[in-house]
Amino acid sequence: MSKELEKAGLPVALVTAMYPVAEQVRATRIVKGVSIPHPCGDPALPAELDARLRKEIVLTALKALETDVKEPTVFSPNIA
Amino acid sequence: MITVVHIVNQFFAGIGGEDKAGVPVGVSEAAAGAARGLQLQLGAQATIASTVHFGDNWFHEHKEEALKAILAVVQEKQPQVVIAGPAFNAGRYGVSCVEICNRVANELKIPCVTAMHVENPAIGLYRDHANLNYYCLPTAETTAGMADALKALAKFSLRLANGESIGPAKTEGYIGRGIRRLEKTDRPGFERAIDMLLKKINNQPFETEIAMEVWDDIPPAPALDHVKDRNIAVITTSGVVPWGNPGRFKTYRNTHWEKYNIAEVKELEPGKWEAVHGGYNVAYMNKNPHYGVPLDALRTLEAEGVIGAGKLYPAYYVIPGNQGSPAVMRRIGKEIAEDLKKDNVEGVLFVAT
Repeated sequence: MSKELEKAGLPVALVTAMYPVAEQVRATRIVKGVSIPHPCGDPALPAELDARLRKEIVLTALKALETDVKEPTVFSPNIA
Repeated sequence: MITVVHIVNQFFAGIGGEDKAGVPVGVSEAAAGAARGLQLQLGAQATIASTVHFGDNWFHEHKEEALKAILAVVQEKQPQVVIAGPAFNAGRYGVSCVEICNRVANELKIPCVTAMHVENPAIGLYRDHANLNYYCLPTAETTAGMADALKALAKFSLRLANGESIGPAKTEGYIGRGIRRLEKTDRPGFERAIDMLLKKINNQPFETEIAMEVWDDIPPAPALDHVKDRNIAVITTSGVVPWGNPGRFKTYRNTHWEKYNIAEVKELEPGKWEAVHGGYNVAYMNKNPHYGVPLDALRTLEAEGVIGAGKLYPAYYVIPGNQGSPAVMRRIGKEIAEDLKKDNVEGVLFVAT
C-alpha cells in the first residue's frame, strides 16, 4: 500500500514494529514502531511517558517525510 | 458438440482499424474474422456459435454497458467455453480481454481463456484477478504469432470445455497468476524441506514449493520541505475503527478501505473506538486506540505549531491488514492515493501493525 502511495508522489512515513519486513518488501521511509500490537507507544509505561513516546514517534515520522531517501531507510525514534 | 463464443475487437472482426475503434458491441452468428482461423483449429469437436466484437475505444469508454452486452450474448448462447483474443501486445484489447474473461468466469461460471504477449499491460490485471476460472496463454508480440496463438487457444479451450483439470502454470504453459494450490504428495513436509536444504547447502538446484512474491523497487517520492505547511493524512492497517465497526470489516482478508472523520475529535477515547484485526492481540489497541492512530500526539504537535493549523487531514483511512493479499493492498494503496490527491494531501503517516 505504502509503495503505491509513494508511486503516486506522496511520501509515506511507515510506522511499524516489523521494520525488517518493511525493508524486505522495499518500503522507503520506515519508522521503528514499539511492538506489533502497539506500534505507537508502550502500554507498560505510565500514561504520561507513553504519550511522550508516541509524540517522539510521530515527530520521527514527520522528520522522515522531510528527508530525501534513495532506498529503504529506517528512522529510529529517540526512545530514552 | 462443444459450443464456443469468441470475443474479438473491431480489427480482428474485420470491421476496421483505428477509425472503427468507436463501434459498439456487435454479434455475428458463427465465426467471423479471426474466428474463422480459430474454427479451423477447433475442427469438428467444437463450433463457434457467435463472434462478439467491440471497438477498442468503445469498450473502455462504455465499460459497464459493453460488459453487460457481452455477458448477455454469452448467457444466451450458453457455451462450454469462451475465448477472447489473442490480443498480442495491444494494450486496450488485452485489458478488454481479461476484464471480459474475469466477468464471464465470475458471473456466468463459464471457463474462459485469452492469449496475449507477456508484456501486454493487461497481464498485471490478470495477475490481480487471480481468477481460477480463466487463463491467459502467452503469444508472440505481434500478429506474426497468430497461427500458433489460435492453435494453442483451440487446444486449451477444448480441455476447459471438457472439464479437464488444469495443472500449474509451469507445466501447462499458461501465464502464472501466483495462485498457490494444495497438492497431494507421499512425502511429509519435513522430508521435502530437509531435501531442499541439503541441496541448497551442496549448491545444487532446487525448487521451492512456496514461491515468494517478488518485490519491485519504486523510486521514493520526494521529501517535503517545511512539513508544518503541508497537508498530512493518517492511514492505518491496525484496524482501529469507530465502535461497532460500521464499515463491517472482517478480521482478515479485507478488500475495501474506509475513511473516518476526526475533524472535531481531540483524542480517541477507549470505548468509542475498537480494533478489528485477527492478526495480533487487540487488547492494547482497544484500551488505547492511539497506538494505531496517534491522534493525541498529532493534536499536541498541532497546538505546538509543528503541524500547521488545519493541516491534519480531517479523516483517517483504515483497512485491517491481516492476511491482505499483495494484489488487493496495491489496489487499496492506489485508491487511497487517488482520494488523497483529490484533497491535496501531500504526505502520509502510515501506522502498520
